Amino acid sequence: MSTLFPTRETTADPRTDADWTGRRAFETNLRALVGRAYPRVRGMGREPSWVFFEILLPFLGTSAFVLVYRALQAPEAYVGFVVLGGAMSAFWLNVVWMMAGQLYWEKSQGNLELYFAAPMSLMAVLLGMAVGGLIMSGTRALAILLISTAIFGVQFHLTDWALAIPVFLLTMAALYGLGMMLASLFLLWGREAFHLTNLAIEPVYFISGLNFPVARLGALGAVAIATVPLAVGLDAMRQLAFPGMQGLEGTPPPQTEALILTAMTVVFLVASQRLIRTIERMARSRGSLSIRWQ
Amino acid sequence: MTTPMTTPMTEPVYHPAFDGNGFDPARAEGAGLADTRRHMWTAVRLGWQVESNWTDPLLFFIYTVAKPVASLLLLVFMVQIVGGTGAAGEAVRTFVVLGSALWAMLMAGIAGPAWSVLDDRERYRMLKYLYVSPATFLLVLVGRGVSKLAVGAMGTVIALLFAVVVLGLRVDLAAVNWPMLVLTLLLGLPPILALGIGLAAICLQTRQESWSYPEAFAGALFLVSGVVFPLSILPAPVQVIGLINPVTWWVAGVRGAILPTGASSIGGASSLWTTLTGTQVPDGAMTIAVLLLTGAVSTLAATALFRVSERRARERGLLDLTTGS
Repeated sequence: MSTLFPTRETTADPRTDADWTGRRAFETNLRALVGRAYPRVRGMGREPSWVFFEILLPFLGTSAFVLVYRALQAPEAYVGFVVLGGAMSAFWLNVVWMMAGQLYWEKSQGNLELYFAAPMSLMAVLLGMAVGGLIMSGTRALAILLISTAIFGVQFHLTDWALAIPVFLLTMAALYGLGMMLASLFLLWGREAFHLTNLAIEPVYFISGLNFPVARLGALGAVAIATVPLAVGLDAMRQLAFPGMQGLEGTPPPQTEALILTAMTVVFLVASQRLIRTIERMARSRGSLSIRWQ
Repeated sequence: MTTPMTTPMTEPVYHPAFDGNGFDPARAEGAGLADTRRHMWTAVRLGWQVESNWTDPLLFFIYTVAKPVASLLLLVFMVQIVGGTGAAGEAVRTFVVLGSALWAMLMAGIAGPAWSVLDDRERYRMLKYLYVSPATFLLVLVGRGVSKLAVGAMGTVIALLFAVVVLGLRVDLAAVNWPMLVLTLLLGLPPILALGIGLAAICLQTRQESWSYPEAFAGALFLVSGVVFPLSILPAPVQVIGLINPVTWWVAGVRGAILPTGASSIGGASSLWTTLTGTQVPDGAMTIAVLLLTGAVSTLAATALFRVSERRARERGLLDLTTGS
């Protein structure tokens, strides 16, 4: 911890001390980012039960949908669709539970006041939450993917790695950008945050085509492709992992979907920055936004 | 929706040794039936208020409808997409729709007590106050679970109505075995809540991120309970888990009562049940008997687990521990 948070030499003159250079602000925000990601990553080691509850049990949940397709004697590609969907659901759950609702939880725990008072950007805190969450859920997604692939014999035909890697990274950027934006909105909506979080699971799974190609939803699928990062990212990755597979036609090619994801990332990050500034201003002017139970 | 909580005023019952002054020894004795009933009812009402008064009735209705209907559609689309047409497809769709609709209630009952622990400890920070209240902690959690179960039952009813009106599910009301339906529904409630209590016992020991645990646990149960596919497609050792699980028998009983001529999730060709018993499918009486047996065992096991967890939580100061990451 001592290298993570080095003590800074104080100056004799308070004016000099308050006059931050760009580098110092960047370093402080970087430390804030690392500091916010730290408990999420370390927490994984301190609470071993997550291995059982967040890897094994979700794998069993994914297996249930695989077996539905097996019972229906569906083409094997659909099993691959479910496995990929199961892995991606780990990120979505992380975004809604540990990003969107997080500032509200922080408020409930009394930490939000400290965030507002600390000399750092709240964006750094949100990014730290995203990085920590990404590591947590990435582990879970990878485990589900590997175990399911081994047990159900899913064969991915991924050849275009040069596109697949950027598509995955853009999907994560758009998903966590959305989470950062929702974090501010959920804070404003107060007590409803928990229920909104809960509401954003099954309906989003459905319109994103978690277990089937989103194109089969017709107009609803098109709307999802244009607005929900999980839908567009998942569809792009399915097209790349199962090229030419029946059922995947009817949506834009992965290159176009990468552009949609880029646009989403920009929109969500800009919106989250504006929203966080707004709530910071409200917190200071009202004096109530950051206080528990108000 | 913001009606204040009021406790019904009842005449206090004093200990015979109580002289009207100072400490009443009755307060240190075990609660009588009237107290237990009152505590239970208060916990149910508290749970209902927590569940429902966070928003206006319209949004609450949408919230109650959206989740089960979306879950239902997710599965129905899977069946439709892979060519679930014709009589066989219709039978599969009906099987899936019924199982999925029941799942809303099951999920709520299983998650309810666990979420109550997390809600009261991590969000409202009221768990220690509830714990030291005169009501038994276990009773408080059961009451909270009952209210959650009621919300889940609304979801089930709405999902079934949606399936009938929008998806064209055909249920012959004259053919429904009503006594069996009512009996199975009632007998299934204690084990469902018991599973929730067991999960609450685990969440007493874990941290804030346990929010997703009930969902993960329910997802795993989904696999072994014959909710959307027959157990016979599972490997035999996994079928054993399904057969000793009361949820399997509850779902099979309710499904069998609503659709007496429909497919069973338990028996059938190559199923462990048929191999062991030589019968094609369990009949109604057998379903009820096994539901009773597995329900009793799981209820006792969950209660024992809860007692152990409660004691450990007290020893380690976990009742008012708040976490975060």
